[in-house]
Amino acid sequence: MKSRFALFLIVIAIIAGLPWLITTPYWRGILVLCAMNVLLAMSLNLVLGYTGQLNLGQSAFFAIGAYVSTILIKTYGWNFWVAALAAVIAAGFLGLALAAFAARLRGHYLAIASLGFAVITYQVLLNWEDVTEGVRGIYGILPPVPNTVALFYLVAGIAAAVYLLLDNLVRSPIGDTLRAIREDEVSAASLGVNAAIWKAFAFGLGAGIAGLAGAFYPGFVGTLVPDAFGIIESFTMMAMVIVGGMGTMIGPVIGAVVLTFLPELLRGFGELRLMIYGLALTLVVLFMPGGMVQAWVSLKNRLRA
Amino acid sequence: MSDLLALLTQQTINGVYLGCLYVMVALGLTLIYGVLNQINFAHADFVTVGAFTAFFTATRLATRVLGMPDTAAYLLSLFFALGAGALLGWLVSAAVFAPLRRRGSDELRPLIATIGVSVLLENGQLWLFGPVPYQFDSPLARETIRVGRIFFSAQSALVVAVSLAAIAALYAFMRFTFIGKALRAVAQDRETAGLMGINENLVIALTIVIASALAGMAGALLGPVVVLTPFTGASLIVKAFAIVIIGGFGNMEGTIIAGLLVGIIEAFTVQYLGSGIIDLVVFAMLLAMLVIRPTGLIAERKEENV
Repeated sequence: MKSRFALFLIVIAIIAGLPWLITTPYWRGILVLCAMNVLLAMSLNLVLGYTGQLNLGQSAFFAIGAYVSTILIKTYGWNFWVAALAAVIAAGFLGLALAAFAARLRGHYLAIASLGFAVITYQVLLNWEDVTEGVRGIYGILPPVPNTVALFYLVAGIAAAVYLLLDNLVRSPIGDTLRAIREDEVSAASLGVNAAIWKAFAFGLGAGIAGLAGAFYPGFVGTLVPDAFGIIESFTMMAMVIVGGMGTMIGPVIGAVVLTFLPELLRGFGELRLMIYGLALTLVVLFMPGGMVQAWVSLKNRLRA
Repeated sequence: MSDLLALLTQQTINGVYLGCLYVMVALGLTLIYGVLNQINFAHADFVTVGAFTAFFTATRLATRVLGMPDTAAYLLSLFFALGAGALLGWLVSAAVFAPLRRRGSDELRPLIATIGVSVLLENGQLWLFGPVPYQFDSPLARETIRVGRIFFSAQSALVVAVSLAAIAALYAFMRFTFIGKALRAVAQDRETAGLMGINENLVIALTIVIASALAGMAGALLGPVVVLTPFTGASLIVKAFAIVIIGGFGNMEGTIIAGLLVGIIEAFTVQYLGSGIIDLVVFAMLLAMLVIRPTGLIAERKEENV
């Protein structure tokens, strides 16, 4: 326990030192993006990795967080933090609603229902122009803190806090319940687990965290258009979770860091970045189902033997 | 004929023609699901590959290199697209589905792996062909056929004719040939079919190849009537899923009915509500179907393994 705490302090120190190592504005921006991706990957991992529910609609909750907070700030003049809280609540409630709706659906049916949910959300953002401005987009959105380094500390700090929260959650009996549902929902139900309620809990919490990431996104980019929240965003989150190692706490964090920086190092254009994501997704599922965490463990075992 | 009746007939014809295209795509998904209980998420991207194959065959290879006349070149391109789809299907079957099946993996991993294939195909084509839409001129799309006050293009007549022929051929294949019988046997019970001496791996691979060939040819039919970009197929995939769910996963007849239904509903939505909300209408149908009758229009007789 003590060594875990020491490790956590070291990680915090590294995060705190990063803006001194990386000084160009462009790469500092990538740092912020990376912290946001870590939040998103963790949010999907709770549903996909720990509860075993293939949710292809996570991009919708990210979108709802972004739009709810921005509209409350720009149109109604709310304070950023109150608006961010509202974004978390709105996304969380929609997550609960999707889970309630999909309570009877499993496997492929859930995947397609959540995909349909993401498409509907995207279409509403595109067509409800009175509120969302549609394709024209919302411009001139300010971040909650004045500079990129402060924004990085803010989002990374929140990501660390969410990590601690989820880490304790998955170690608690609730984590055992979620894993039981993942391994065999029918058996879990026969042991008295109310699977529908716990799946809804995972969906709601995961959606809330994605909504929180969404609250920081518009201020970072400065503009908000529906195209930032297409289905492909759900797939990039999934790639981060799978490549890192789903169903582990550290895996999706590593996956998010690697898949944010790797395409940048390769001087990626948009299509090249996504080609890497697609290829990584397929190859990892085929050859390394446990992701980088599994690869690391088996490498360690081989060195020891 | 009154104005209203003419309008209704016109929109129904447009709907049937759209529906035939959707059926070609959705049938492949449902066929694969029937024998394998798996979803190929990249299925609709095979449509895009088919469309680009047909485009380059019809406008470059056949006309400029072989010097064929326009119409013959386009008809030839249908078969090239069919071949491209079949090849992709074989690749995905051999490289993704077969290894995962050997490892006895759950239902989600093949879906995730094919999502990867889909992302790769879309962005690979974006890299090759760029984001600017291609103008795929089919000689048949320019010719208009007029019956009374009803108009339709020769292209849409060809789409309906080819899809009807493909569906009839597939149906005959499944009903009357030995391999078709083997395929249905594997769909009913894979293990028992294996015990009866059916090479299930071959049957599954063949199913994926047939399904993908249909998707490739659908691309060649679709190319001249839509905006051809690397994401043409991607915009279809969710609609194809909706059709497969409305028709009942793995149910051929249900898929055909649902495909035509969605096509007709789409045509009337465009007429009366505008084209912006087509996806909303189709997905509202999908979600309603999942709540009311998750087994689809025609209930499956197969029992769920628990």
